[in-house]
Amino acid sequence: MNTPSASPAVEAEGLVKHYPAKNGDIEAVRGVDLRVDAGEVFGFLGPNGAGKSTTVKMLTTLLSITAGSARVAGLDVAGEPDAVRHRIGVALQEAGLDPRQTGRELVTLQARLFGLSAPDAATRTEELLELVELEDAADRQIKGYSGGMKRRLDLASALVHRPEVLFLDEPTTGLDPASRLTVWDEVRRINERGTTVFLTTQYLEEADALCDRLAIIDDGRIVREGTPTSLKQDLRDRLALDHDPTLDDVFLDATGRTRRREAGDVQEVKA
Amino acid sequence: MSQAWLLGQRAIREAWRTPDALIPTLFIPLFFLVVNVGQAARIFPGRTTEFLYGQGYGAFQVPASLLLASSFGMAALFLVEEIEGGYFDKLRAAPIPRTAIVVGRLIAEGTKGLFIAAAILVLAMIFGVEIASGVLGFVLLVVLTAGWAVVFAGLMQLIALKTRSAAATNSGSLIFFPLLFLTPNFVPRDLLTRPMEIAATLNPVTYVMEALRSLILQDFVWGDILPGFLVVAVVGAIALALNVRMINHYD
Repeated sequence: MNTPSASPAVEAEGLVKHYPAKNGDIEAVRGVDLRVDAGEVFGFLGPNGAGKSTTVKMLTTLLSITAGSARVAGLDVAGEPDAVRHRIGVALQEAGLDPRQTGRELVTLQARLFGLSAPDAATRTEELLELVELEDAADRQIKGYSGGMKRRLDLASALVHRPEVLFLDEPTTGLDPASRLTVWDEVRRINERGTTVFLTTQYLEEADALCDRLAIIDDGRIVREGTPTSLKQDLRDRLALDHDPTLDDVFLDATGRTRRREAGDVQEVKA
Repeated sequence: MSQAWLLGQRAIREAWRTPDALIPTLFIPLFFLVVNVGQAARIFPGRTTEFLYGQGYGAFQVPASLLLASSFGMAALFLVEEIEGGYFDKLRAAPIPRTAIVVGRLIAEGTKGLFIAAAILVLAMIFGVEIASGVLGFVLLVVLTAGWAVVFAGLMQLIALKTRSAAATNSGSLIFFPLLFLTPNFVPRDLLTRPMEIAATLNPVTYVMEALRSLILQDFVWGDILPGFLVVAVVGAIALALNVRMINHYD
């Protein structure tokens, strides 16, 4: 669903993150400009270590911003972090859950932390467990959940307060194909209900299937931005290809990587 | 505070569901109590040893066991597990005061401390130890022990927040652990060798131990009791302030 509005859901200008290190600062993000319209599913792609998670952590108030500015749901991330937290949902790469709580306890606690009363939190928990199809496992401790169940529960806990913007950092990494499709369905369902989704992924078919627009980050900088179709068309035109390129081709072109086949394996090689 | 209490309740459930982490906090102090009494009880017979106030040597050793039981700092290990597992970031992304995250764990540690202290004291009483200061003394013993558990956990949480590593947090406890033994552990302070007496006098844990001991062996001697509570209040306030500062600057 793509319903652009005047006020962007996410807007970053010259976003920079440096980490101190023994041999000088490490520049993880080097001036990222982004604009995500309300109602979009926005894909944020990049190779390992490109700066995806660092950018997401800055946008979700989990990391300080070295330079530049970011606004999420119309609010300044650095200036009003608590107000931003009220408007966003976050499901990070690690599916951060407390393994000794039950699914129901975890979602209820999250709802209470977001200010819902005990009865409202209980009602919301039931709704969300139904949404992610975990009603039957709700009273089991999370340590017994499969990877897919944990991802879905993480998603549910990110939605307790009906966020305007949902950040999903590699939500399907490590999942089997069936679980991945389930998560895709849930992301679509959440977006159809009006939530803007900011999604990082390493799976290009995921970006192709889910995202209205996407940006590719490499070495801390945005190197491509557009709709999947426009990015593919642009590559076809630029390289005068006689076939339709895939998003993989766009990604490899954007990140300066190429592929060569060796002993039956496809290996990624930095150009 | 309500959010700290919600997180505290969660941490209490977590402790309840991890009995394998709770059992050593009860078993090891009782083991040391039995061993220490077995080694030294004949040297210090109750009838003729002035500093025992008519009780057996076991009564003298109970405070050391109480302090040991409240110096495991499990909260810090659970915290670092949460940092490594990502749930810590989930909590940081919620609109709650950063302090609630660390205070919640300390509330749970204090609650556990209350129960563990009460259990050790009841067991000690079954084996003949008398609480000379009576029921109020029992309550003060439990509260002071739980207070120390909160202080120790607070210090350990600083290591957890700084290092973000379970291995480092575990090793870090070794920095604080010797403080428990630089105390009048086996005899009163005035019977220690001079260097040990100086070390014990400089060690804040000594005053907590002496307060606990006073409540067990004597009636209310406030000159011994109040310094113990003062140490818990002051070191606790410092540990809490440092925890708050560290989590507010966590990046």
